[in-house]
Amino acid sequence: MTLPKNLQEIVDDIASMSREEKLETLIAYAETMPDLPDRFQEERSKMEPVPECMTPVFIIAEKEADGGIAFHLDIPKQSPTVRGLASILTNGLNGCSLEEIISVPADFYMPMNLQEAVSQQRINGFIGVLAHMKQAAVKAGAG
Amino acid sequence: MSYAHPEYLVDTEWVAQHLNDPNVRIIESDEDPLLYAIGHIPNAAQVDWFTTLQHPLRRDFVTKEQFEELASKLGITNDTTVVFYGDKSNWFACYALWLFQYYGHQNAKIMDGGRIKWEQENRPLVKDVPAFTATSYKAKEADQSIRAFRNDVFKQLEAKKPMVDVRSPKEYSGELLHMPNYPQEGATRGGHIPGAVNIPWAMAVNEADSTFKSADELKKLYEGKDIKPEGEIIAYCRIGERSSLTWFVLKYLLGYPTVKNYDGSWTEWGNLVDAPIEK
Repeated sequence: MTLPKNLQEIVDDIASMSREEKLETLIAYAETMPDLPDRFQEERSKMEPVPECMTPVFIIAEKEADGGIAFHLDIPKQSPTVRGLASILTNGLNGCSLEEIISVPADFYMPMNLQEAVSQQRINGFIGVLAHMKQAAVKAGAG
Repeated sequence: MSYAHPEYLVDTEWVAQHLNDPNVRIIESDEDPLLYAIGHIPNAAQVDWFTTLQHPLRRDFVTKEQFEELASKLGITNDTTVVFYGDKSNWFACYALWLFQYYGHQNAKIMDGGRIKWEQENRPLVKDVPAFTATSYKAKEADQSIRAFRNDVFKQLEAKKPMVDVRSPKEYSGELLHMPNYPQEGATRGGHIPGAVNIPWAMAVNEADSTFKSADELKKLYEGKDIKPEGEIIAYCRIGERSSLTWFVLKYLLGYPTVKNYDGSWTEWGNLVDAPIEK
């Protein structure tokens, strides 16, 4: 499987880390996630509330001038694990073409061995975020 | 009326006054364990339900010996007052307290309001991880009177004794398994255990600051749904974390003598072959 270059680098990087380094890296990703640009706040306010136990994840994608897709996310700061995982995806996929994004396999994360650092529930959520991002990219790519 | 056992609850101010009390160990237990690394109450230790409280192999809690090791590492003696707090209205703080009591550490309390209230009051959060002098903690044999296994649930069903399903209404009705893009933590069937009443955990806490509701409000809430002190009650949710909050409320705030937490919860029952389900 061929992953987009940035995503592949992140996967390789995390794969080589100890459990503690993985956690530190997730925190760093969580803390550097940019705030949602103001121009998306209206869209954000229309998001349906998600049932408890789940972290609300707002995702919007835009097609840039060069045809690449840019993702903008809004995830509460009280959920650093979800922010960190989602931030891996935006860092790995921002600027990629629609084709590259939709061909990321759902099991791409396996080599990172994240399950030693976070629970399976989180990993399920992570796959859910990827599926959401693909949908958002399709929507943006068609627009 | 006041809480039946107010000694199991402390407020944020009490914690602020006891940050360096050698007889007190403050422990953060979160749904999202990275929160501790981002900032925690000064001198607080951390436990994580997934990496420190669960058995690494089996679906179970750490063994008595592993628990002793954990408590010793955190510098806890059998006389230490352990105070738990956490995110999400103290779900996992209650879960940790329940597990500490399972292994006989009765002297455990919850900081009312948890992380949310501490943050709302602009109290300090630090990143320094404290080091503690190790102790040699001695745990008791597991107290099965506060934990229900599936066989206890079958017996409960047969005897038509009360059960509380503390999940959200849509999980109770079985709708939630079908949410698009949100793979659920593995149950193949949706619904609830027949006869269980639905009292979502959140109804026991004040939305504004995550503190517990008053004793009068709680009494009305549970007794209004026929969950009464004389009943032998089993509470469950999906993995046993939200129901440990309800367990805490029933056992210590309302003083019900017999309350068990079924930690197998829906992720076990919803996967059991031949187990009855109601929708």
